[in-house]
Amino acid sequence: MNNTQLNRVLLYYARTGSTAWLAHLDMMRLFSRAMNRAAWPLAWSEGAFNPRPDIVFGLPAGCGIELERDPVEIGLDVSNEALAFDLEDAVRRLNTTLPESVRVVDAAYTEPVGKSLMSRVFAATYRIEALGVSSAYTKTFTGAPVMVEHVRKKKTTTVELTSKIMDADVSDDNTLLIVCGAGSVNHLRIDLLLKALVRDGGLSPEGAAGARLVRESVLINTVSR
Amino acid sequence: MTSWSSLSEAKQRALLRRVEKPARYSGGEWQACDKWDVFFHLQEEDRIRFAFCFPDLYEIGMSNLALQILYATLNADEHTWCERFFEPAPDMREQLIKEDIALSSLESGTPLYAFDIVGMSISYELAYTTVLDMLHLGKIPLRSVDRGERDPLVVAGGPVACNLEPMAPFFDLVMIGDGEQLLSDITALYRKKKQNRMTKRDFLFEACRLEGIYVPAFYDVTYCPDGTIDTIEPNVPQAPRVIQKSVIRDLNNAKMPLAPIVPHLNVVHDRMVMEIFRGCARGCRFCQAGFTYRPMRERSFDRLSDAARSLFQKTGCDELGLLSLSTTDYSQLSELLEALIPRAEKNHVNLSLPSLRLDAFERDMAEQVATTRRAGLTFAPEAGTQRLRDVINKNIVEEDLLQATEVALRNGWDRLKLYYMLGLPTETDDDVDGIGYMVNRLIARWREIPDQLRPRRFFINVSTSIFIPKPFTPFQWAEQISPDEMRDRQQRVASALGRNRRVNYQWHQFESSVLEAVLARGDRRLANVIEQAWMQGCVLDAWHEHFRWDVWETLLSEMPGGISFYTRKRPLHEKFPWDHIQIGVQRIFLEREWRRAMEGKTTPACFEQCSHCGVGKYGSGVCLQPPRAATEKGFGHE
Ligand code: SF4
Repeated sequence: MNNTQLNRVLLYYARTGSTAWLAHLDMMRLFSRAMNRAAWPLAWSEGAFNPRPDIVFGLPAGCGIELERDPVEIGLDVSNEALAFDLEDAVRRLNTTLPESVRVVDAAYTEPVGKSLMSRVFAATYRIEALGVSSAYTKTFTGAPVMVEHVRKKKTTTVELTSKIMDADVSDDNTLLIVCGAGSVNHLRIDLLLKALVRDGGLSPEGAAGARLVRESVLINTVSR
Repeated sequence: MTSWSSLSEAKQRALLRRVEKPARYSGGEWQACDKWDVFFHLQEEDRIRFAFCFPDLYEIGMSNLALQILYATLNADEHTWCERFFEPAPDMREQLIKEDIALSSLESGTPLYAFDIVGMSISYELAYTTVLDMLHLGKIPLRSVDRGERDPLVVAGGPVACNLEPMAPFFDLVMIGDGEQLLSDITALYRKKKQNRMTKRDFLFEACRLEGIYVPAFYDVTYCPDGTIDTIEPNVPQAPRVIQKSVIRDLNNAKMPLAPIVPHLNVVHDRMVMEIFRGCARGCRFCQAGFTYRPMRERSFDRLSDAARSLFQKTGCDELGLLSLSTTDYSQLSELLEALIPRAEKNHVNLSLPSLRLDAFERDMAEQVATTRRAGLTFAPEAGTQRLRDVINKNIVEEDLLQATEVALRNGWDRLKLYYMLGLPTETDDDVDGIGYMVNRLIARWREIPDQLRPRRFFINVSTSIFIPKPFTPFQWAEQISPDEMRDRQQRVASALGRNRRVNYQWHQFESSVLEAVLARGDRRLANVIEQAWMQGCVLDAWHEHFRWDVWETLLSEMPGGISFYTRKRPLHEKFPWDHIQIGVQRIFLEREWRRAMEGKTTPACFEQCSHCGVGKYGSGVCLQPPRAATEKGFGHE
């Protein structure tokens, strides 16, 4: 196999505990630093003033959301033949240079398919743990549209939630599992979902604030070239 | 009352979701020290829990090199676990108070009151109320006399430690000088205290015999009828008359934080740092650090070169700062840059050199630095005329600035930041106007460069601060100008620069400079004022959005003599509140420098010619070295 073609890696990572509180940009920095420490031959974007390592997250993770399997794509600079890059070994190294609460759980070479990783993300699955969250969900989502207000940069918009949810598992009253739209189209914001559960489903505000939010997976369209 | 670690996870999440930047409080950063699994196997009396407190927000504290140095030093000892505390931002502070949660450590969520030693690292006077706030949030009685045997020992250190008299009643002991040795000494002695079940007082009797340890309660201060200090006398036989600062003779033997904590958040200085030397050889007469950290002591080239390698590997950061009080004075700077630049480039690391002296900013260095970094460049001429620069001993001439700027412009910089001080001793309108003239000449110089060799645009950022007379400087006798004069001079600069679209003028509210001046040369009587101010809501005074001058002004005006008692010019014979502290530099030398300032005479840098300041007794650093050849330009020393 021609090694020069293998220059993109798709990683899946998990985060829990303290790193769940990082904002998206902090997470980017965390990864690029950990990769520097693990001596990954990162590819850098051109531009003398602000070159950036080629690290692309599939779906930005909101502050306070734990992740179990989120995708991130890494561009490698494999022009230097001397730097033999063994993916399995590199991942092992990376897992020793990441903070304990972040782990790479899967990695594979990938090929550019024309569309960016971000634009291929279409859905995500979440686990929400809070007292009585499933009954609150059943009470809120009856099939009819659920409208909530979303305030962003002093602008208020109204968002409909029902159409963004594809599936839900309410068999455990304290653990709600949902599959919902994610990414550039039809994205469900979990904070808005919780807002609706408090307003219409009787979930306590304290329960919503203390809820454990876990994104179990992010679904990506595989597009052939 | 509860602590962070005893809250349920749901409760922790709920609190973190209610505040801005929760990562300030969640910890778990790369290379933060977690001794949880090993530390508690030690006997209780064999382990010291040390709370390193930085009385400001996380982003400020985590940019502080001293924190990284002392954290590494303390945690290198298996008997000590040093954990970090910062002042919570107002949103989190409110939550902690509302829920009655004690301020807790980032590493293990342990409340402040449960630590053996609480160490306050104080970098500026405006942090004093925040110190009290942290003690209060940590559920520790503020005053030393109100703390019992079970309360932590509360200690302080940092750049302002040379006169912490206004905070004297709050600290059990103050560490004067370099912290590395001091902290090891204290933790070792504290272990002995635990093992032998010594009382705090007996511990302090032993501690005060160590170099650099000052126990404020062991000294009585009396005052003259005019309010000035009459006597400062030890009140126990164990306490020395004069407290000598602690000095690390050879910096190469001191610990460097080679695997520092890498914060998750974008902190103020988000970079790895290397202290290339400590102390300063220049002797700018307004600069406290320039005198209190003497002598200038360099780290060896080899040590730094190795350190850089480790920092690259262990942090993965993309910027390395070479820190010191005057980076261009490092004797092997060229060699060091030559060694570091290729490695930095290979690792996509920018080198930053704060504290560049512009007389030394030669073409070679500009070219070297330009390859790795093209952000703004900062120069600090400090005063607008040569006359005033001679008074303050800032040994640079106008041509230096013009030259340095031209070099910078020709190497691609298009932004320049200039720092000046207003209200320096002997300052006149001519000196203030000199700032505007200088800026115009810089712009003229830019125009003179052929188009193809200069940047298309050129911006100058001028920033002024107000002069603050500080202890242990030749200007410790000087007055601080009145608020009216401050306002006038700021406006004078603003109107001179205001018309120029290439110039942006920044100045600061001057009231905080007044407070800083009062506290810097303050005495123990100010402790009540500080406590009162804190009780009336003053905290994070260095943040202009939190600064409450109304409260301070009222409280200070109620003191006998008022604000001007502290900002006034002091007669040469006046006894100072810090006269029992021996920082190395002799009062008689400072007095000589003060006179020379008034005569407009400059004094050479240590490495050009020793001026016998008194620090030579430590037999260390630059004091031992033969004079370097004076720089070509010649600064007109007499
Ligand atoms: S003794 Fe001389 S060389 Fe040493 S710090 Fe003082 S002035 Fe500088």
